[in-house]
Amino acid sequence: MGKEFDISRIVQFIKRDLTLQKNTITIGLLVGSIVLFLLYLFNMVWDKRLSADEFLGSFSLCYFPLGIFYVYTMLREFQNPKFNHSYLSLPVSNLERITAKWLNGALLYTLVFSLIGIIVGILAMMVGIVVFGAEMHVTAFFSENYWKVVKLFLLIQPTFMVGALTFSKNRVGKTLMVLGLLFIGFLLFNFIGFGILNHDFGVFSGESSGSEAFDRASQDFSVLGRWFYGLIFGPLMLVVAYFKMVEKEV
Amino acid sequence: MLTLKQLQFHYPNSRPVLKSVNLSFKPGGIYGLFGKNGEGKSTLMKLVSGLLNPKMGLCSLKGRSTQSRSVATLRDLFLVPEDFELPGLPIQTYEKVHSSFYPNFSKETFYNLIEEFRLSPNQVISRLSFGQKKKVLIALGLAANTPLLLMDEPTNGLDIPSKSQLRRILASYVDDGKCIIIATHQVRDLHSLIDHVVILDNAQVIFDSPLSDVSEKLWFGKASKENEASALFSESTFGGKAIFPREDRDESEIDLELLFNAVLTEPTQINTLLNSINHG
Repeated sequence: MGKEFDISRIVQFIKRDLTLQKNTITIGLLVGSIVLFLLYLFNMVWDKRLSADEFLGSFSLCYFPLGIFYVYTMLREFQNPKFNHSYLSLPVSNLERITAKWLNGALLYTLVFSLIGIIVGILAMMVGIVVFGAEMHVTAFFSENYWKVVKLFLLIQPTFMVGALTFSKNRVGKTLMVLGLLFIGFLLFNFIGFGILNHDFGVFSGESSGSEAFDRASQDFSVLGRWFYGLIFGPLMLVVAYFKMVEKEV
Repeated sequence: MLTLKQLQFHYPNSRPVLKSVNLSFKPGGIYGLFGKNGEGKSTLMKLVSGLLNPKMGLCSLKGRSTQSRSVATLRDLFLVPEDFELPGLPIQTYEKVHSSFYPNFSKETFYNLIEEFRLSPNQVISRLSFGQKKKVLIALGLAANTPLLLMDEPTNGLDIPSKSQLRRILASYVDDGKCIIIATHQVRDLHSLIDHVVILDNAQVIFDSPLSDVSEKLWFGKASKENEASALFSESTFGGKAIFPREDRDESEIDLELLFNAVLTEPTQINTLLNSINHG
């Protein structure tokens, strides 16, 4: 009897995904690298240097959208009625499938794209030095802010996995729409919670403007809140994604 | 090997596709699953492979429910669906990324079959015709060496020489440990291949019998004025083919299409005669 969770099978499954999506991945990474390169250069035009914030800002601009599209690419087979028979009848357990998708779409992608970010950054700096005399400036790529960006991506990535597993058509648009609605819902929830728990701030006094109240309410106001949202959009979404995989019928 | 007990299924807001289906498939046999369009053949194949969950009842392969899609169960079956698409990879790359999931996969069988199907390992799958893609998938399925091989309309998209080639290959593939279930509405395509017939009609199994029993009890021939009255079923055209109780006649070649039409028209009469084997 075969084991239901086997690391070598997960590795094999990731290899299979990478082989099947090789062309899409290559094109995606090439486009990402070019955009990243142009963004780095654009940031160097005025002050002839690429600061750590500019470096990370440009990186994030490509890292998030590409990462989200990568998730959808990895799960394309799952929703395609012409592919999903073979995909779902492959001897891989649901837990292995979801683990492989997460390792690939979150960790492997972050690792590869960070490496690309560094290489393209160095290349852009060299071009900047040659073309418009930018100064050589060593930027600490793995700064605290970088880890914050990665942490945020790892937190929202499972939500997009759920979107990719739930919707069969217009998957990105529908996921963003649901996220938008959820954001408004949580904003209102925060607003009411903030108003009730922090009455002293005078949110409902009528003196503060509505936008100021919303600004306050939308801010993360407690450690508890951070854990709450962190758990909802991180591990809980992975669990939801797992059950979406289990329940899938063709 | 494969057991279906009281299996029921319907799609959301739809009539029942399968009503209390009981079937048992044994190793060493090639089963033909026949039925008109929309009678639940493909649904049954999906239920067996765990791609659909039954509304009631149980489908178990080697004692394990197929519903859970466990590795142990999925390793024991391979499904060749009716309509599918394969990734745009060279055939050999496609084999490499899939073969490792099947512990008994035979590369030798795969490449022999690819050669027999007049394909080359370097050919890119996306440039092949649907029939050729089907051959690649069939080769993968046979090379996977799973105890259960499910094929949904395998002859769709195949040209006439390829159909007889497939029959020959399948006949040589089956051994005592393997079971093949072929779902089709093109009954004639499976002539001389299958050894057990299952017919679905009106969401139920209306016929489930080995061809040895059919051959023992029924006689296939032409109707004449003299024997017309004793025919269990005959085609409406004059001098058309007919089915008679065999009695003392010599064994005849089974006409699957005629049997299929007869069972759809006279299920009770045919089944009563066949069941008399077990009782008399």
